[in-house]
Amino acid sequence: MIRKIVLLALGIGLSLSVIGWASPALNSLVIGATQEPSNLCPWEGAADTKENVMGIFNIGLTYFDSEGNLQPGLATEIPTEANGRLLLFRDSDGKVIRQEVLWTIRDDAYWSDGVPITSDDAVFTYKVQNTPEMLVTTRAFSNLIEVVCKVDDKSFWIIYKTPNLFYANIGGSIGLARHYDIAPEHIWGPIYDQVMEGIRANPEKTTEIIEGQFLGAPPSTGTGVVVGSGAFKFEEWQINQFIRFSRRADFFLDPPGPAENYLQEITVRYIIAQPTLLSAIIAGEIEAADDIGLAGLDPAILEAQLGAQGVVESTPSGFIEKLNFNLFPQCETAVDLLLGDKRTRQAIIQAIDRADLARTVYPGAQVSNSFLVAGDIGFDETLNPWPYDPEAAKALLADLGWADIDGDDWLERTTDDGREIQFDLHWVATTADFRIRSGEILQEFLADVGIKLEVENLPGSVVFSSEYLNHGSECTWPGIVEYAEGGGIGQAPADPLSNELWANDLLEVPVDATLENTPLPENGYGGTNITGWVSEKFDRMRAAALQEFDVAKRSAIVKQMQQLYNEELPTVPLYDRVETVTKMVGLVNYTKGTAAARCQFWNAWEWGWEQNGAVAVR
Amino acid sequence: MFAYLVRRILQVIPTLFVISLILYGLLALKPGDPIDEMRRGNPGFTQEDYDRLRAFYGLDKPWYVRYWRWLGRIVHGDFGTSRQFGRPAAQYIFRYRFPNTVLLSGLSLLVAFFIAVPTGVISALRQHSQLDYMITVVNFIGVSIPIFWLGIMLIYIFAVEIRGFLPAGGLATPGVTGTWAVVVDRIRHLILPVVALSSLQLAQWTRFMRSSMLEVIQLDYVVTARAKGLSERRVIYWHALRNAILPLITLVGLNVPLLFSGAILTETVFNWPGMGRAIFDAILVNDFNVAMVSLMFISLLVLSFNLLADITYALVDPRIRYG
Repeated sequence: MIRKIVLLALGIGLSLSVIGWASPALNSLVIGATQEPSNLCPWEGAADTKENVMGIFNIGLTYFDSEGNLQPGLATEIPTEANGRLLLFRDSDGKVIRQEVLWTIRDDAYWSDGVPITSDDAVFTYKVQNTPEMLVTTRAFSNLIEVVCKVDDKSFWIIYKTPNLFYANIGGSIGLARHYDIAPEHIWGPIYDQVMEGIRANPEKTTEIIEGQFLGAPPSTGTGVVVGSGAFKFEEWQINQFIRFSRRADFFLDPPGPAENYLQEITVRYIIAQPTLLSAIIAGEIEAADDIGLAGLDPAILEAQLGAQGVVESTPSGFIEKLNFNLFPQCETAVDLLLGDKRTRQAIIQAIDRADLARTVYPGAQVSNSFLVAGDIGFDETLNPWPYDPEAAKALLADLGWADIDGDDWLERTTDDGREIQFDLHWVATTADFRIRSGEILQEFLADVGIKLEVENLPGSVVFSSEYLNHGSECTWPGIVEYAEGGGIGQAPADPLSNELWANDLLEVPVDATLENTPLPENGYGGTNITGWVSEKFDRMRAAALQEFDVAKRSAIVKQMQQLYNEELPTVPLYDRVETVTKMVGLVNYTKGTAAARCQFWNAWEWGWEQNGAVAVR
Repeated sequence: MFAYLVRRILQVIPTLFVISLILYGLLALKPGDPIDEMRRGNPGFTQEDYDRLRAFYGLDKPWYVRYWRWLGRIVHGDFGTSRQFGRPAAQYIFRYRFPNTVLLSGLSLLVAFFIAVPTGVISALRQHSQLDYMITVVNFIGVSIPIFWLGIMLIYIFAVEIRGFLPAGGLATPGVTGTWAVVVDRIRHLILPVVALSSLQLAQWTRFMRSSMLEVIQLDYVVTARAKGLSERRVIYWHALRNAILPLITLVGLNVPLLFSGAILTETVFNWPGMGRAIFDAILVNDFNVAMVSLMFISLLVLSFNLLADITYALVDPRIRYG
């Protein structure tokens, strides 16, 4: 009887296991990801996970290739002063006061439903972006635009009221996102008209109308016709499971050789738990991982687990992990610990073996000394590397009056008002595994120089909430908060405005020095300069860099900014984070390259299996 | 009885109101809001964007004002939109999450119940035998092993080590078509999570059934049944089991509302899109509308099952009368 049951179970098991995975044979690809996009609406959100997916079935006016070079996408060419498509108007001081950019869309550019992509689509995209009632996530770039004018069916001018250094970057023109500069008017136009009509009739229901009819529109939720400009066509979205795409025959960029040698179908599967994603990869259910799902995993261990079947690639992410100090004079704890004195920050950076920290918590990551990621325009390789030197750290701390008075191995000092305090430094970060480990290691390093680090790991939704992060002046976090920030101002696809270091936006005329970017009660705790660092010199250089169209001159300014940052250390840069991607052997051109590319899914038209004749060009 | 019923149903309304007020207040106490989430994903996000979007969603208003507005909307059947998935919150929960939870939890419950009952009976009838000891040891292992660990081990053995034997997780294989292939595919995806989820209940219920059966088979009426010359099978399955199983049925009944709230660990490990994970994620990423509709639904279920239990008691026990 038992034998019969065992045999029956085996039989059922074998029959159930017949459904296998044979993507190379089918010329398809299954990509694993841990985060699912919230919607496919072009105007809302720009999280990496959404941009990756949008990149499969969309392409911008331009795109960054795997070497970080800007290439024309929908556009016939990249506008420059040399080709007459970039007009810069300067005042008597040579400062750019007005900018006009002429874009021309390729004749062979079509939406995935066969409708030609025209300048009307660009004008419409800006119209929606600029409509005050519409739910647009960010207007950082579109606010710089005065008007978008149609010239003919394929050409349009963008006239800027404030110069836009990043006018040619994907997402930098009209300001949608990093993978789609233009949205299809023939799909979104009727939805926009209906939404605006509804808002006019019921202005008190604006939020509900936008949420229901705009964000909830079928092209946004994937329940209706979804149209894109990219190499693949959207097929279906099974929410919480997968999104599927098929190859377009009429896409204008071709891979080397016949297109049928390359992927004909792509499926992005969503597996929320990292261990399960990893299991699915090893089991062969997932043939490639995106650049988010395997964050923090050791590439060497991944390689060992995948064995000969897979390839592991690490690429710079464009994000710098750093320690942000509370420098607000209003926070008594921070003042007592002398965090506002740069010597304290210099002592802390020298007390930490950052190379060892990076190796341990984020294998593959490189130590950073700048607010820019390595390779960005103007990146200074000659900055002080602040090598691990606990003796130098101790000396600096002693200069500041810190000493182990009671012999308990922790530093103490007497404040100006006669209080005796111990160097108890609060550190907070999210509950990500690598940050939990980071807290433990930092605790050990700082203990060696007499600083007692109080470690606290809180959920990301708490750490990044404005009530917490933006209330440093009230000592919500009295010491250090660790997280990663997109580094950039040179080329800067990540953070073109260097958001977290400036205090006053000196681009504004007339200039008002009200610490507008520093969260304080006076401005409703608005702004992104959460450390409270104020440097007029830095702000002036930033303003100058953002208006300097000459790359060489801009690089020189950006280098000076880095030197100031590296000396002052308002934040301690720890390491440039890397993104780890896995793929099965034989999958070609599935590569991200440099941090500039930012989104991994930028060249889906070139992806293919070598065994099917696809040629590796990346 | 009718008056009692009407009174109890009417009591549900203010109870739900109080629950919703408490839930909304608690969610509002949590630091962070959806705009903070947007800011995290957009490095170029400006303060102007932040202020504009907070005003758009009404997040610049005090929580009680927002609650009042939310209440006004749900009275008209509008549960708002999920900011995480851009769909109506109620549709997201009841169309995409709730059926998956019912399928997984329901199957696990059935598997656990129909294995626990005979196993518990056999264990009781062969008390102190090797089989009894073996079942007891397995039960203790089942109670002791954390579900998430068991889940990962199951995946490791059946998906990684025996490559392709069963899927590592998910609801279905993308691209599988045809009725039979879809059914088989769905069964394949269900096996591991059902085994993991039912393991704890199976172990607990087997122990429970064993104790209950041991107690019943020593009672006088069972001895009488044997003395009457009834077959052992009839004594056990007709007389003893029917009484021994009643406490287990009560226990299973108490688990029913939990069944609908999902099993977060199993859902996470097996990538099963159910209610547990939906509620957890919604709270974590400040998707208030999804969190509220889910939690209110579970509250309603608990209240309904309490009422149902009270009515059932009155129907089955003549000593209980509601006036």
